[in-house]
Amino acid sequence: MADVPGYLRTCLDMGKIAFLAILVSTGIVLQILACALFNNWWPMLSVIMYVLLPMPLLFFGGSDSTSLFNESDNSWINAAKFLTGASAVGSVAIPSILKHAGLIGWGALALDLSSYVVFLVAILGYICIGDASDNYYSYI
Amino acid sequence: MDLAELWAIFGPGFSGAVFGTGWWFWVDAVVCSSIQVPFVHYLPGIFASLGALMFNCVRKEDIDYSPYDEGEWRLKLWLFIAYVVAFVSLAASVGLLIQDSVVKTGPSTWTGVAGVFQCVFVLISGLMYWTSHSE
Repeated sequence: MADVPGYLRTCLDMGKIAFLAILVSTGIVLQILACALFNNWWPMLSVIMYVLLPMPLLFFGGSDSTSLFNESDNSWINAAKFLTGASAVGSVAIPSILKHAGLIGWGALALDLSSYVVFLVAILGYICIGDASDNYYSYI
Repeated sequence: MDLAELWAIFGPGFSGAVFGTGWWFWVDAVVCSSIQVPFVHYLPGIFASLGALMFNCVRKEDIDYSPYDEGEWRLKLWLFIAYVVAFVSLAASVGLLIQDSVVKTGPSTWTGVAGVFQCVFVLISGLMYWTSHSE
């Protein structure tokens, strides 16, 4: 996009950030709806997994935002990937177990899983935008 | 990139997902059980996780296949013990499944089935992590 003016490129970047913010807000709204619509706050347990999900890469990955998608000889990066996978499954498992135990209904389960999918899309989008930002700096 | 490189990139994450799946099956069995699950039923999953951890403590390059020198017998003994722990825990979970399905006063059959799922998924995740190491 070398032919695009600088101010328009900045607007597009801000648009991407705004889109990510909208996605995260939508995820939070869906999570709150899963609890409030049915006046049943058991699905809030999923928030524990949402908090745990980025922690391995924060602690072990350092500033390398692409470590999820690169082959690495570093045992810490592999351990971070392992823990990230385990946390990701927990976000699906907790509402499923609550439904199986009869503590929540189908509506809350659907809202909770939708919230998780929206968060996943936001995280992957953030990682892609991070890659694009590297290209942005390389033009200077 | 080829399949081996893809496996090296995504294998650890996928094996973590399988590990989590195994343990969440067990959480589901314990939560949905109408009676308290005895602690003996927890042991196969714990020892399967321990076995998976044990054989992932070994680096591939340290395994010596030379027919002439004495190999690293401590390493091979460690791997042997790890596999013994893994498969004894799997056998124990199958035994507990049979017990749960036969004895009416004990936990339900789903507890035994979930225990077998737990051991199988945990051990599969250990193998996935081992095979996905690029080193």
